[in-house]
Amino acid sequence: MSLAPVLAADALVEEAASRAFSGLAEKWFAGRITREDLLAAVEQLGFADASPTSDGEGWLAAAAIIRAQARAAAPIDMALLLVTGERAAAIAYDPCAYACAAGARAPASPAALAALSLGRCLQIGAAMGAALELSIRYVQDRRQFGRALAQFQAIQHSLALAAEEVAAFSAITDLALACAAREGIASKRLPALLDAAALVAGQAVNVVYDMTHQVHGAIGFTQEYALHRHSLDLLRWRDHLHLARGGDIGCAERLGDAALEAGSAWRAVTASMTPGDSP
Amino acid sequence: MRFHFPIFAFPPEAEALRAEVRAFVADELAAGRWKKGGDFASSYDPAFSRRLGARGWLGMTWPKRYGGHERSMLERLVVTEELLAASAPVAAHWIGDRQSGPLLLRYGSEAQRAEFLPRLARGEVFFSIGMSEPDSGSDLASVRTRATKVDGGWTISGRKVWTTFAHRNHYAIVLARTGDAGAQRHAGLSQYIVDLKSPQVKARPILNMAGQEEFNEVVFDDAFVPDDRLVGEPGNGWTQVTSELAFERSGPERYLSSIRLVEAALACAKSKPTPRVREALGRMSAKLMALRTMSLAVAAQLQNGEAPNLEASLIKDLGNAFEREQIAVFRALGSELPGRSDDYLSSLAQATLYSPSWTLRGGTREILRGIVARGLGLR
Ligand SMILES: Cc1cc2nc3c(=O)[nH]c(=O)nc-3n(C[C@H](O)[C@H](O)[C@H](O)COP(=O)(O)OP(=O)(O)OC[C@H]3O[C@@H](n4cnc5c(N)ncnc54)[C@H](O)[C@@H]3O)c2cc1C
Repeated sequence: MSLAPVLAADALVEEAASRAFSGLAEKWFAGRITREDLLAAVEQLGFADASPTSDGEGWLAAAAIIRAQARAAAPIDMALLLVTGERAAAIAYDPCAYACAAGARAPASPAALAALSLGRCLQIGAAMGAALELSIRYVQDRRQFGRALAQFQAIQHSLALAAEEVAAFSAITDLALACAAREGIASKRLPALLDAAALVAGQAVNVVYDMTHQVHGAIGFTQEYALHRHSLDLLRWRDHLHLARGGDIGCAERLGDAALEAGSAWRAVTASMTPGDSP
Repeated sequence: MRFHFPIFAFPPEAEALRAEVRAFVADELAAGRWKKGGDFASSYDPAFSRRLGARGWLGMTWPKRYGGHERSMLERLVVTEELLAASAPVAAHWIGDRQSGPLLLRYGSEAQRAEFLPRLARGEVFFSIGMSEPDSGSDLASVRTRATKVDGGWTISGRKVWTTFAHRNHYAIVLARTGDAGAQRHAGLSQYIVDLKSPQVKARPILNMAGQEEFNEVVFDDAFVPDDRLVGEPGNGWTQVTSELAFERSGPERYLSSIRLVEAALACAKSKPTPRVREALGRMSAKLMALRTMSLAVAAQLQNGEAPNLEASLIKDLGNAFEREQIAVFRALGSELPGRSDDYLSSLAQATLYSPSWTLRGGTREILRGIVARGLGLR
């Protein structure tokens, strides 16, 4: 028996998304991006054989685009565009100001909240991936004590820890994405998965922010070196994700209540990860 | 992404199986056949293993002609995770079902498969792993136990340690040096199926910190092993050993070791959960979902014939950190649990005492992080 993953291989999707994104960018800047454009991107991404009108395919395409955009550190906030059709104000990291700006567009419906959360998760994952890649390259180039930093075990383990967090967060994000793709953005299962993703994001961002800056030394703490852009992105997006979902403690309490209601944490976890009957 | 965990869902038949396993566990507990115990490596109950065998829940993925059941890795994962979540006594069959069986299936001779796999699948014979030695732990390639070619077979001499349940199991798959190590140090190693009841093999339990006899020192005193007990090719031991790693490191036993404590705390808190208990349960559930998603991906990759060793190491390191974290969290919450039950207190003690072993057995935390770093291109 051969198993096909629900999501196509990341690398392929992202490569295609980069191409699709370059076409979309122009329209974006002109303020003219439509659902048809998205569907065209869907086709370009190779999802065309599935029904191009289903929400799921739209979501997979949107996801790939968001990832590609965030990895390229493109200076626009595509997630909000895709989610609310509005352009977000570009604000440097200021939890309060960002929250107010974001709060003004706080989505009312559960589906809109889910969409926004998913977009944020994809962005956070991409920004963490970019910060990690930058760090890997940096420690291979930078030499101290006559060797590349990468040769020190302490450095290797710091980045291994960061990579593990990125992997865990990508996995839970993809799980939520697969749920949205299959069951639609209004899926009843999705909020719990997004609460989980928001919580995993909390820890992952802490570790990645810590480790990637630590291995960079002082250069990472400047405005001229690229790391700060990824860091500011992931801090802002994390804050918005948590705020939009009522704070990370709120996310945790909801999941905890599900466990209490099921009478077992294990049962609640397995139930929340089991695809629903409806497509 | 450097590591990829494609998303899989359990197929509907796997979810039906989950219901079956839960019903079975409920029956067993109701009948008082066992009490919720330690983790996968400490609760030993051959009769329970045989009951699993009778249900077709051992050797699940193996071919039918070897007594297997030709079910998918995902179905096997359903059974193993449900048994672990119930803290069932799986230790007797665990190693054989998880890695010795698959090793024989992949590298064993036709005769070895025919002889051992059906008995493993029935829960009649149990296997140990004979890798570590007094002077060879993380640096496994340095093992000194030697196998020397003699007429009709090999004689093995040396000493293994930490060999879990060697004093009760029937066989061990022993890694021994048969030739020169070579420049890479990985050459000249071979694996043998060794009869632990043979008179030239002496297993002596080493009392562990929790006061239990589980792991052993095993001395091989010119133990004769016939030719047909050599597994795979002589000198190919290293490749064979590393092929077991993805099976060994990615499973739910790497993140469920403290689940009994969590569930016991939940049961105490149920009538009047404080905000802190709700929060802790939620945080733990979120991470568990992420780990389970990754573990599922590796099971599916194994099913497809891939060898996701890096991903498996990553899961084990994250999972071990997670299962340890729960001990600190749910111990601290003790004062918020009305009527702390015996189950809570004993699982807290058990998890606390065993937790140092979690980040050692099956690859230490440091070794795992080194493997992940290699995957990142850092070494
Ligand atoms: C409960 C339990 C059951 C076990 N069951 C079995 C079994 O059934 N069969 C079997 O063969 N083995 C078994 N083992 C042994 C296990 O595989 C070893 O404990 C493990 O491989 C580590 O080896 P060691 O204990 O000799 O520690 P060492 O290798 O001496 O390591 C000690 C410490 O040094 C660190 N270290 C070592 N090398 C490096 C390095 N290069 N860089 C950084 N740090 C390093 C380690 O990570 C560890 O923290 C079991 C162990 C335990 C605890």
